[in-house]
Amino acid sequence: MSRRLLGTGLLVGAVFAGISATPAAAQDDVTLIVGLTQPWETLNPVVGFAVPEYEVWNIQYTGLTTRSADDFSAEPGLAESWVENEPGLSYTYTLREGLLWSDGEPITAEDVAWNINTSRDQEWSNYISTVTNLTAEVVDDRTVTVTSSVPDPRLPAVEIYVLPKHVWEAQASPETIDSYDGLDGVGSGPFTISDYRSEESLTMTANENYYDGRPVIDTIIFRYFSNPDAMVAALQRGEIDAAQGLPASSVSQLEGEENIEVVVGFQGGFDEIAFNAGAVEGQPHPAVLDFGFRTALNHAIDKAGATEDLWFGLAESATTISVSADPKWIPEIPEDELFAYDPDVAISMLDDLGYVDTNGDGFREMPGGGDNIVLRHAVNTDSDLGGAMGELFSGWMNAVGIDVELSAYDQDQLFGVIVDGTYDTFYWGWVPFVDPDPMLSYFTEAELYNYNDANWTNARFEELYLEQKEEVDVDRRIEIVHEMVRILHDDAAYVALWYSPDIQAVRTDRFEGYVRQPADIGPVIFSQSSPSYALLQPVGADEGTTGTTDSTDDTVEGSGDEAGAGTTAAPTDGDASDTDTDTGTGTDDDGESDGGGDGDGDNTTVILIVVIAVLVVGAGVALVLKRKGSADDRE
Amino acid sequence: MNAAFVGKKILGSISTLIFVLIVNFFLFRVVQKDPVGSLFRGSRVPQAKLDELRDQFGLEDPLPTQFVLYVRETARLNFGISYQTRQPVWDEIQSKIWPTVLLVGVAAILSALFGIIGGFIAAWRRGSATDYSITSSTMVFYSMPDFWLGMLLLVGFAVMLPWFPVGGMSDLGSSATGIEAVIDRLHHLALPALTLTLAYLGEYAIVARSSLLDVMGEDYLTVARAKGLRDKLVRRRHAVPNALLPVVTLAAINLGFVLSGAIAVETVFGWPGLGRATADAIRGPDLPMLQGLFLVFSAAVIFFNLIADLVYVWLDPRVRPT
Repeated sequence: MSRRLLGTGLLVGAVFAGISATPAAAQDDVTLIVGLTQPWETLNPVVGFAVPEYEVWNIQYTGLTTRSADDFSAEPGLAESWVENEPGLSYTYTLREGLLWSDGEPITAEDVAWNINTSRDQEWSNYISTVTNLTAEVVDDRTVTVTSSVPDPRLPAVEIYVLPKHVWEAQASPETIDSYDGLDGVGSGPFTISDYRSEESLTMTANENYYDGRPVIDTIIFRYFSNPDAMVAALQRGEIDAAQGLPASSVSQLEGEENIEVVVGFQGGFDEIAFNAGAVEGQPHPAVLDFGFRTALNHAIDKAGATEDLWFGLAESATTISVSADPKWIPEIPEDELFAYDPDVAISMLDDLGYVDTNGDGFREMPGGGDNIVLRHAVNTDSDLGGAMGELFSGWMNAVGIDVELSAYDQDQLFGVIVDGTYDTFYWGWVPFVDPDPMLSYFTEAELYNYNDANWTNARFEELYLEQKEEVDVDRRIEIVHEMVRILHDDAAYVALWYSPDIQAVRTDRFEGYVRQPADIGPVIFSQSSPSYALLQPVGADEGTTGTTDSTDDTVEGSGDEAGAGTTAAPTDGDASDTDTDTGTGTDDDGESDGGGDGDGDNTTVILIVVIAVLVVGAGVALVLKRKGSADDRE
Repeated sequence: MNAAFVGKKILGSISTLIFVLIVNFFLFRVVQKDPVGSLFRGSRVPQAKLDELRDQFGLEDPLPTQFVLYVRETARLNFGISYQTRQPVWDEIQSKIWPTVLLVGVAAILSALFGIIGGFIAAWRRGSATDYSITSSTMVFYSMPDFWLGMLLLVGFAVMLPWFPVGGMSDLGSSATGIEAVIDRLHHLALPALTLTLAYLGEYAIVARSSLLDVMGEDYLTVARAKGLRDKLVRRRHAVPNALLPVVTLAAINLGFVLSGAIAVETVFGWPGLGRATADAIRGPDLPMLQGLFLVFSAAVIFFNLIADLVYVWLDPRVRPT
């Protein structure tokens, strides 16, 4: 018996000895750990679309132009300047001098032109809406001209991630581009991907060649939490330095904490209750097609009450949909046109229109009698608030005598129900981009059976949509967009409920220099161009400690001013290129072999399994031998 | 155990697997509406491109064509490309198998071990305070939803008493290797494994208890006692080996669930295994991924059922085919 145990012990010892051979790495890196509650799906910027993916690309890649932190205006990116040849049609960009990719290769005008022209020719999913009318022409190594075949108000901003041609060229064919994993780790931004463990974490390392100077932080680790409460606990314990996507209910718990500051950021997201406007085959209840009926029901919807109840006062109730992360695109709606919440108004309007209850069961019928009006409300079960909103909506409607039937669908089924048009109302939400065009397009005929989820169309809206698309005068375009949003609002078919916030929190005892985008109201991380990371500094590192202890707004806003100065202070890219080549190749090997998720993390798991299996089998064998032994004894 | 018997059992397993394969396909086609539309909602992808994707994913083909393709490719062990990650489903599954095997495997072993021992002790002292406390405590854990139990342990031993990490599989940011990495992994494993162990314990305890109680009424125990054997020996040599039979079967069958076991617990503790992959795939819905996962889960259950069948025959001469 003892000999057997010894044998097992030796075996286990040998396995452990085998793995402890690798020495531990240096630990004095400055590491920022950010918690998030949504996993990555792919890191290929051509096809991915999840929020945490945009964050990584925002950090890893610089566009020809970037977005200003304050108001999203176009700022120098890879291009240090540009000349307008023809407004909305042609621009010539001059790249910064001495630009290098993180692996040491030069960044040239050819890289930029290749991205624009190839993505257009191959119709890359995430690029095509930006580049469809663009053509890029290399003038010389540092100069590139971009022309559009139609007036494009988005220019001079070219909102695409410029990928390294020397890495991506091999992937760029329509057959292979979509399935590339994007883990090469070669970029032009302040940090590049160095390790990715799917469903677990993503690590980014400082880019020594970053044009604005190597960032102060050495490493960023994004850590995925499938359980938001665990993320809250990790933040409280200091296991993570910042967190994105906190549950609204956790805010009151965090607000009292020393060294933790909650940031409620707005970047255009909103939720809505939509009425089926009937532009597809499956028809709504006839009452819903009546503008008067819809208007009456608008007055029965208590936006402010719902916002307060569901967001604990963190969100703002909405007046109208927002079509952009930039508030300038949202029109001001006069007070008296807002369909203010007042059930009595709703009741008298419905009475006047002839929607009355003739059979005395408490629910109204169509004018002239018949069956009760029953609204089919589709509940989105993938939304945290879907169930609650269904109950609230049904309560509001019942209060004015309208019956509601709730049906639950997951997101995929709901999408199908919307396309089929077999619903009367539903609750869902949107997060628009900076340019208002995509959000506006969701209310056009072209998007029926697709993203036009209210099945709503309007001739005037359609006209204006085409007009704004090519209007290069910003003020005029704002006017058009405002008019479009007003048309949608006035038709009472798409009821924006609230502007949904991004709830984030940062540990104020760890890093300072977070920047809100857009200024004052936006989030500090996971924003449109994610400017914070390159500017962050450990608390108390360099120049004094601004706002270390006063854990209120000061920290975030105060450090915004400091940001510009902070950047240039970082060490520059002298002899850094050789260090970086290492990082690049290391990632390459890892990513290629097993689609990420490998490395010593997985070895440890397998080794543990082997050790445990050996122990169990050993114990089993021991048991059997022993039983056999005792059986022999008996005879 | 003759070859014909084993052959028959294996054949039976294979036909079950084929049945699962077919059901799998139609099951997901029933719930699906338009995965492409819902996956890309709110992204910048224009409609023409979406149609192209629907085409590329084979969603425009008629159902029979899709089915033939599915069967042919599955037979070649090609489970398709995940809609969400754009990587081959098989690669995705492979990278998540080991964390799940570790977590659920450890829990399965511990719960079987302690559950059986507890059940036997309870049966042997039937009606005593020990019996009562073992039976009721394991039943409490058994009837508790495992995600809730997990949350309680998380709050208790990671938040209030910060002894264990709040989730994940390793300490991020530390670059520990070798023995330190193993210890770190065990540290992270502790709470989720404890949750699952507690959750599974009750089943083993109850089965082991009632099985031993059955055996305790048998004549051969009376004979053994009459031979003058001490109580302990009667239990160890005569009662327990016979009572183990149904428990072993249960353990073997449960091993089949090791792969699919822990959707809720993996989610609570952020353990990057197959359970969480399933939860994420459902959100899409990522049909190829779900099909692949379900096939792997079913195959594991069928395989371990087969093993249970064979082991049972080997252990118990009474069911041996003639």
